[in-house]
Amino acid sequence: MGTIMVEDKIAVTEKYKLGNKYHVLGKSVPKKDVLNKVLGKSKFGADYYADNMVHCKLTRSKHSYAILRSIDASKALAYPGVVTVLTYENVPGLNRQGELIKDEPVLVRIGEKIRKKGDPIACVVAETAKIAEEAAKLITYEADELQPILTVEDALAPDADMIYDNDHNYFIKRVVVHGDVDEAFKKCDIIVENDYKTQIQEHAYIEPEGGFAVYDGEVLTIYACSQNVHLDALDLAENLEIPMNKLRVVQSTTGGGFGGKLDLTVQPYIALAAMKTGRPAKMVFDRKESMKYSVKRHPFDIHVKTGADKTGKIIAFDCLVYGDSGAYASLGPATLTRTATQSAGPYEIDNVRAITYAVTTNNPQAGAMRGFGVPQMAFAVEQNLTELAEKVGIDPIQLRKNNAYQVGSVTPTGQVLQSGVGITKTLEAIEKEGPKYIAPKKEASKPYKKRGVGVASMWYGIGNTGFPNPSGAFVEVLMDGTVHVKIGAADIGQGSDTTMCQIVAEVLGVPYQDVRITSADTGLTPDGGASSASRQTYVSGNACRLAAESVKQSIIRAASVLLDADPDDVGTENYCYFAKSNPEKKVTIKDCACKCHHMGIVPLGHGYYNPPTTLLNMKDGQGIPYGCYAYATQMAEIEVDMRTGHIDVLQIVAAHDVGTAVNPINIEAQIQGGCTMGLGLGLMEEIVIENGEVVTPSFASYMIPTALDVPIYHSIIIEEPDINGPFGAKGVGEPSLIPTAAAIANALYDATGVRIKRLPLTPENVLAELKKAGKAL
Amino acid sequence: MKTTICFRLNGEEMEIAVEPNLTLLDMLRERLHITSPKKSCDEGDCGACTVLLNGKAVNSCLVLALSVNGQEVMTLEGLGNAQNLHPLQKHFYEMGGSQCGYCTPGMIMAAKAFLDENPNPTEEEVKEGLSGNLCRCTGYIKPIKATLAAAKEINEGK
Repeated sequence: MGTIMVEDKIAVTEKYKLGNKYHVLGKSVPKKDVLNKVLGKSKFGADYYADNMVHCKLTRSKHSYAILRSIDASKALAYPGVVTVLTYENVPGLNRQGELIKDEPVLVRIGEKIRKKGDPIACVVAETAKIAEEAAKLITYEADELQPILTVEDALAPDADMIYDNDHNYFIKRVVVHGDVDEAFKKCDIIVENDYKTQIQEHAYIEPEGGFAVYDGEVLTIYACSQNVHLDALDLAENLEIPMNKLRVVQSTTGGGFGGKLDLTVQPYIALAAMKTGRPAKMVFDRKESMKYSVKRHPFDIHVKTGADKTGKIIAFDCLVYGDSGAYASLGPATLTRTATQSAGPYEIDNVRAITYAVTTNNPQAGAMRGFGVPQMAFAVEQNLTELAEKVGIDPIQLRKNNAYQVGSVTPTGQVLQSGVGITKTLEAIEKEGPKYIAPKKEASKPYKKRGVGVASMWYGIGNTGFPNPSGAFVEVLMDGTVHVKIGAADIGQGSDTTMCQIVAEVLGVPYQDVRITSADTGLTPDGGASSASRQTYVSGNACRLAAESVKQSIIRAASVLLDADPDDVGTENYCYFAKSNPEKKVTIKDCACKCHHMGIVPLGHGYYNPPTTLLNMKDGQGIPYGCYAYATQMAEIEVDMRTGHIDVLQIVAAHDVGTAVNPINIEAQIQGGCTMGLGLGLMEEIVIENGEVVTPSFASYMIPTALDVPIYHSIIIEEPDINGPFGAKGVGEPSLIPTAAAIANALYDATGVRIKRLPLTPENVLAELKKAGKAL
Repeated sequence: MKTTICFRLNGEEMEIAVEPNLTLLDMLRERLHITSPKKSCDEGDCGACTVLLNGKAVNSCLVLALSVNGQEVMTLEGLGNAQNLHPLQKHFYEMGGSQCGYCTPGMIMAAKAFLDENPNPTEEEVKEGLSGNLCRCTGYIKPIKATLAAAKEINEGK
């Protein structure tokens, strides 16, 4: 397996041919979903219509923290065009939802706590969206106000009020301890110790949350944006009190997720409205609603200490991390668990201690967002390492190479890495290819600017941390030789449908265009788990591989009869099956599928895969959190205007070890998209909260990168296959974002000699630091 | 009070009664169920609702339906079909120009208006031309390259 240099010139599918042994794996075939997308035909949640449908709109709490005493919906009910108003009394089941902890009310009960601004009080169901919106403003409520807790410090103060019935204001505390950290620091020649702070980032998917529900008296069908329909169904079933087999949750085309569409959004309300009125129900959040009340990336307060001997061998690592997880758990506990396991980076360090908290406050809840608590740590740890390299007096890439994981290395959770450890190759690729694009030393383009180059690396465990997270797949070969794949995995634009079809086509020896996929529909497909944790290529990909291998047994049985050969003697080539002992005679998969039916066999395969993980010990975090890991190193070239603090990122060279590359153009697309989101995290994006309320709920107040902000990207795909991956494939969705902000911060230091430990690196923040250091012009 | 307007939509004559405060976007989506123009910000920041009004790209959320009386509106539905993709659709499809696809219709229509004005653009000019269309998935590179490839194909076909 080699290294593929992906040039940033006009892409032609042919160019990415790897010349490997596969017929469709490793080829940049066009994505399965995209033809409908370029025709404008894909149906997103907001694109469903029915003549008699009703529209839903929430009345939300104005309080951050209070006890609800009464709700008055009389004016709304009297408003012309209002069909009904839903309150907690209309929620038949648990009235508690959540990915991990059932703590978030569908509609707040009288006598219970409102825990953040925007908690749902009532839901208006009306003839038009406009009427629903107007009537929702007429609903009033009374509440006993409590003193909101809006900072981590206040939440953890000894006399703090408890937001939940608990003796502490955090959802989880995670500890990972490996070796003897305190003793090891005593032996270090060089210690770098810093505090870092990161901001709240918004997913800012372009599609606001939307969905449509239909109830036929027996089965409730929901079409909504989602990253995990089967978990949606479980959460909904518990709240609606209907069995899961009478609940069909279908993922509508999803306009970006990035972790933000794992949690339920519109689904409970359209479900309740459809069941109560007997009419189809629709709900679409507006932009402000989406940006104010959706989950966010955790802001982190990080204390990190790195110690090495005088050669730069890292001996000890210690970090203490507080993430403001907001009012509801969402995926906060899982995020801070991942943070603890991966905080030290892709380096073999004998003594590691990581302590993390997902802190409960009355702020908007933080949950999953691309990178899952790792990008924040990369910003801190990769700056610490670069500072360490400077103190040791060696090149920062060399320092990373000297400490990088190898096969056989032991991680902070005690896992021995068995295969697929590509960190060194990514460092070597950056060392070799980086200078071809980014000269190590070069003058800035203007006298008032300074130029700098920075590097950062990362590792990322593929799949959910420590927990079982299986995916299933069905594969059927039809009588005309075409293939239908059914999987639960949600394609949210990242390309999982395409990846799965490539894997199945590869196993069965059929053309890619003959494979069709149905995904993320609880009425038709098996559970595929979440499209998160960069896990679908690895986990659902393995399920597809197994299902395809299982149906292939039936096809080979039929082929062996048709060819009059032993099943072990049957091979495939050029979309045909043949006997290796008599390669002249060939049969097609269509011949085999028909023969199967004549033999009384349905050519149907199923499979499921679960990564070989173990639960982590709560006391010291020891265990096997992930089945495989992706690695990356990125190099950024920037110019900073010393008068204004404005940073221009000129180029990024991104070397990613993805295991076997299933679809290079899609991988390159993930790298470019991830780097751009990382650039947003690094330079401009910040959700501002005042008194528990998001005050930047628009694209005018919350900046995301535009076409004018993106640098030149040079993507390098490294293939270091993992024994556990399907054909050795791992993942790339989140890794692409993780090192970018850190590489930019290191480049800023290289340019100016000023190290900024707080994100984002906006002109204001940079200029303030430059002034403090006496370096601003 | 509703006023009846007449306009051409994707080449077809339309007649519809609209309220004075109805936007072009809401008329297309909610009344005519033309769903390729997407609602994302509803205040002109994102470009997801871009359509062509007399050949020029507009944010349809900022245009009143009344004002298109007698005018010509084109949405992605009018650009090409599966058997006959427009070069922009073809290259967005083949070159990874679309991921989640929510910004795609607006982005392609913006690119169409841009190429009609500037058939032989540089890469920098394409970046300018697409800078009003937010995309959260692609990092813009592939839509930019797809637009350049489409320009090349359109020019070669002339």
